[in-house]
Amino acid sequence: MQTPVQASTLPMTPHHRTLAPTAVMSKSLATALVVALLVFVLGPLVVLILWAFAGEWYYPALLPQQFSLSWWSTVLSDSHFGHSVLLSFTFAPIVTILSAFLCLPAAYAFSRYQFPGRRAMFIGIFATNAFPKMGLYIAIAGILYAVHLMDTFWGVIVIQMINTIVVMTWIPAAAFSSVPKSLEEAARDVGAGPFRTFWYVTLPMARPGIIVALIQAFLASFDEAQGTFLVGAPNYVTMPVQMYSMVTNYPQQAAAVYSILLSIPSFILLLLIRKYIVGGYFAAGFRMK
Amino acid sequence: MVKRRSIGFWMAALPIAFLLAFVGLPTVESFLYTLGYTGGPNAVVSAMAQNQVVAHHGPTLGVYTELFKMSPFRSDFISTLWVTILSVILLLVASWVIALYLRFSNGLLARIASTLYLIPMFIPSVIASYALVTFWNAGGFVDALAKHLGDPNFPSFGYTLFGVVIGNVWTGLPFSVLMLASGLRNVPDSLIEAARDVGARAWTVSLKILLPMNTLPLVIVTTFSCIGVLGAYTVPYLMGPTAPQLLGVAMANFFSAYNEPQQAEAMAVMVFILASVVGTWYVMANLKLDRRSGRI
Repeated sequence: MQTPVQASTLPMTPHHRTLAPTAVMSKSLATALVVALLVFVLGPLVVLILWAFAGEWYYPALLPQQFSLSWWSTVLSDSHFGHSVLLSFTFAPIVTILSAFLCLPAAYAFSRYQFPGRRAMFIGIFATNAFPKMGLYIAIAGILYAVHLMDTFWGVIVIQMINTIVVMTWIPAAAFSSVPKSLEEAARDVGAGPFRTFWYVTLPMARPGIIVALIQAFLASFDEAQGTFLVGAPNYVTMPVQMYSMVTNYPQQAAAVYSILLSIPSFILLLLIRKYIVGGYFAAGFRMK
Repeated sequence: MVKRRSIGFWMAALPIAFLLAFVGLPTVESFLYTLGYTGGPNAVVSAMAQNQVVAHHGPTLGVYTELFKMSPFRSDFISTLWVTILSVILLLVASWVIALYLRFSNGLLARIASTLYLIPMFIPSVIASYALVTFWNAGGFVDALAKHLGDPNFPSFGYTLFGVVIGNVWTGLPFSVLMLASGLRNVPDSLIEAARDVGARAWTVSLKILLPMNTLPLVIVTTFSCIGVLGAYTVPYLMGPTAPQLLGVAMANFFSAYNEPQQAEAMAVMVFILASVVGTWYVMANLKLDRRSGRI
């Protein structure tokens, strides 16, 4: 069941496509732009898909000389594959849930309360983005060694959670802020307690933003490779970590098949939240308030 | 009210505590390590490290000066700078054009474009880099296409620094178009109409009205893209040349291949300093806007 989102509650005003100051921009120019975008964005992906079904493909042919499905069975029957899929789908939900427990109360607090240090904390969350991940992972490795979390399940969880904090705090904070305070006050006026108000008024209206954050966090964990490799290898080889070795050690076709398999979950999840992302819930999170 | 204030503080403190423990502490610790302090939590890493500079009489900048004395490192550093600047400029120009087009166009073409720019968000960066390098590489599809079209000397961008720029633009496109498009949506139609009534051309409207009204989205795109590209690993690792390397790749190599974690951390600190400079701009832009709208 979808809760209808009223235009007034969206972080952005609705889109009006009425005028055309770019009328000078002729139709052919627009077509050229879209075609260039099409080739630039889709070209590499289409070629990758062709590779996954290629038996033989020698330069400079523009299409494979021979098509084949044999690499699909090779990859799918590989025991490493099943194991890494299982691991990826174990880590990502746990990381997402833990991150939600940690960050959603904070997101609500940032949106609704004024407290000392609020702005400094918000900037602090941003600052964690500025230290390069690789350098951070190396430094954390030192700490994880010291507390015996290196090459453990929880070590990988910690590493992956780091990448989820920003989206999990900022996007829901913007979503909570977009809920008009007057509606909450109206609910309180007719006798609803603070929790009832939150559960029946605030939460449903902020839901799209929270869903965007949950899925972004899930994908951040699902796609994370460097940190997981550094902390988890050799025992915790998730799909993207496996992909690195595929790229360097396997024939092109195997890596292409693996790429497609690894992209499917991201693709489906993002398709589900596409309208919310385009609708401004994602962009709203990056405006500090 | 006092009670609510403290509740807010403690709710917000949860992720902050996590970040302090797993980002703040390691950052400070690695910074101290690059200044020559090898004890404490750095003892584990430094026990196996090679070519370490150790502080005997107070902090030392030895690691940094040693790094800059090496000419391969200098070219890594300079390459990182220009790849970042070029990537962000191309990204800004491309996404501004796309966002403008989406703001003022209707119909099938615009709908196709609004789906296309979002696609890179759906593809994990490992796979994106791999697909891009296969596409642009020597012996790859673009190379073959150029040959068929009669240009056998068309440059191939796989494993080049410009290839990394292409990768950065590709992966950065959804974020920057989203930000700019949602900023452009907030410019009221009436304002553009008024400008056009007094005879402003599309070009003038874009530069004199839309650009100044979208400084915050533009700052967000610039800072987040800069920071992302500066410390990036996956795209330059899979798409870049073996030399010069971008700092994100170089620090991984110094850590794991050369066993020189101190040098790796010194590079991380340099990237952090560069990123902080850009990041400060983002914070200032937000504060300035708040002040103007009377929030502070």
